[in-house]
Amino acid sequence: MNGYGGHILRVNLATGQVKKEPTPADLARDYLGGRGFGIYFLLKEVPKGADPLGPENKLIISSGPLSGLLVAGGGKCDWTCKAPLTGGYASASMGGHFTAELKYAGLDSIILEGISPKPVYLFIDDDKIELRDASEYWGKGSMTVEKMMKDKFGEEFQIAVIGPAGENMVSFAHINHDFGRQAGRGGVGAVMGSKKVKAIVVRGTKSVPVADMEAYRKAGMALYKACKDAEGLQEWTRYGTTIVTSWCNEVGALPTRNFSAGSFEGAQGIYGQTMREKIVITDKGCFGCPCPCGKYSKTKKYNSYVEGPEYETIGLLGSNVGIDDIEAVAQANLLCDEMGIDTISAGNVIAWAMECYEKGIFTKQDTGGIELKFGNADAVFKMIEMITKKEGLGALLADGVKKASQEIGKGTEKFAIQVKGMEQSAYQTHNATAMLLAYMTCDVGAHHNRAWAITYDIQVGRDKVVPEKVARVIWLQHFRPMFDVLGACRLQWVELGIDRDLYVPLLEAITGIHRTWEDIEKVGERIWNLTRLYWARENAGFGRAWDMPAPRFYEEPPTSGVTKGQYTKLEDVNKLLDMYYEQRGWDSNGLPKPETLEKLGIPQELVA
Amino acid sequence: MSAIFRLSGSLKDVVGGKDEYIIEAGHTVREQLLALGIVPETVAMVSVNGAMETKDYVIQDGDTVRVLAVVGGG
Repeated sequence: MNGYGGHILRVNLATGQVKKEPTPADLARDYLGGRGFGIYFLLKEVPKGADPLGPENKLIISSGPLSGLLVAGGGKCDWTCKAPLTGGYASASMGGHFTAELKYAGLDSIILEGISPKPVYLFIDDDKIELRDASEYWGKGSMTVEKMMKDKFGEEFQIAVIGPAGENMVSFAHINHDFGRQAGRGGVGAVMGSKKVKAIVVRGTKSVPVADMEAYRKAGMALYKACKDAEGLQEWTRYGTTIVTSWCNEVGALPTRNFSAGSFEGAQGIYGQTMREKIVITDKGCFGCPCPCGKYSKTKKYNSYVEGPEYETIGLLGSNVGIDDIEAVAQANLLCDEMGIDTISAGNVIAWAMECYEKGIFTKQDTGGIELKFGNADAVFKMIEMITKKEGLGALLADGVKKASQEIGKGTEKFAIQVKGMEQSAYQTHNATAMLLAYMTCDVGAHHNRAWAITYDIQVGRDKVVPEKVARVIWLQHFRPMFDVLGACRLQWVELGIDRDLYVPLLEAITGIHRTWEDIEKVGERIWNLTRLYWARENAGFGRAWDMPAPRFYEEPPTSGVTKGQYTKLEDVNKLLDMYYEQRGWDSNGLPKPETLEKLGIPQELVA
Repeated sequence: MSAIFRLSGSLKDVVGGKDEYIIEAGHTVREQLLALGIVPETVAMVSVNGAMETKDYVIQDGDTVRVLAVVGGG
């Protein structure tokens, strides 16, 4: 099948059996790949009510039709499962080189099923596929194991690996790859750990068939040329995502001390410029990327090497925990990567604990003697370790900020910054109504990557609550995640402003099927509705209340910075939801109406 | 005492399509943006001779300043 590896690999961890099935042509036609394949298999095969950390949950790893080919940024891989962090849908996108090798091994998806009786790793070398004993790796850090495996198997093998936090099933454990790229959010690493799979090692040498070789070459080169000619390429490559740190601080979007403010007095110390001057030693890109955003850094203070930090980590493990030293942020980043926990959730949940401590809700007795105050980098390092080991206060925080705040009570739920149980990523949303709505309605919880709408807030008026903003969020939710379906990086479009129409002839040349962006967005809308159905299926009483943001954003104005005193009223939060549901064809409780599902051609087998 | 001031992306449209200006040195980037009718908040990044600077940077003689609009985010 043109554009695809051609097979789905099923791995039954309980029996050790591995089995390849042809990738169904209608699946590729209707869901394309990546997170499209993920939600299809999740809805169809993981039974209702499955324990996220039990044998019934599955970890579905999928490339897309643009992965591993002559596509600028064709290095993305989707990891889907039922999320331990939220009890709903998890889909984490990972860059690097893994997805290309997967495809060259003739695979479009790997589905991990059941639980292994002992720690194993999955070894794939083209058609040689084996589960191997992982006892020598179990208990070790992610990057330590990746290095050991690279030394053993060779550089051309690509490795995705969990750290001790994944083994311990920390609810926001992630999966590491390429010494600093992650499938980060929702606890996909905990699911891999629950299955006792330490790593997946893959190498492939097969060709991927394309429909029209000459058109493919031309369209592929046109996309590369557009990237190389793009205004801003030089700066983007120099700073990567850290390019937005100073802008976020300027417009009051930089999360500061547990999202109590949007501007940080110590921001200069964590700006992209500061980072580039003080710690960056080289740039690092994913498969086929002409504009690498990864920065490889060396800290003097800690004598350590790390990929990053990128913006999200700077926001959450920098300003949000009151740290103004880029070296300390980099060190916290390194610890999270090696331990195997998501930096966004970690920075968010630690900031919540710091606020609890500063308000006297936690004492030194609770923290094990740690002075858990904003700005204390050593306390952050220690908390990362305690979360990983589920030790002391770390055991509470390892469940995520929603559950932790529900357990502690005392009003701490109001400053637990999350939606649907997922900790909010690094954009302050007291007065940015489109971005607030994007977080409220994101299909994995409070994550920014589906719809980054904050610039639209700035352009049209940040406090406006108008249908145009809602329409913008919905369009972004259909369009942006399609990169995670196609198996490519969205940042070429996002950051360099590449004409998205360049992808249309490329996809057609590869697959042989003509699709316009409208066709592709329709797939995006179908997937969006399916993820909503999944949440509703798995959570009794799911509906509007699950879309509400942290009360802090509609009850407590920021205490300082450029947005001091500004916040969104509760009636406007509800108005945003009313407009959103109406535009989507959902009922007033936020559930898709039958006619909406029918219009989208959603098969009955996935609705039940 | 002059410098080059370049606008990229959608910022060009704000000022009617012209993307390069020869300006006098001595003003901050923020002042120069306001003089051209551009809201500073819509500018994500300021590059001076290839290195990132803030909007409070005072433009020096011979500088090449490029300002980039906020595009789409991470």
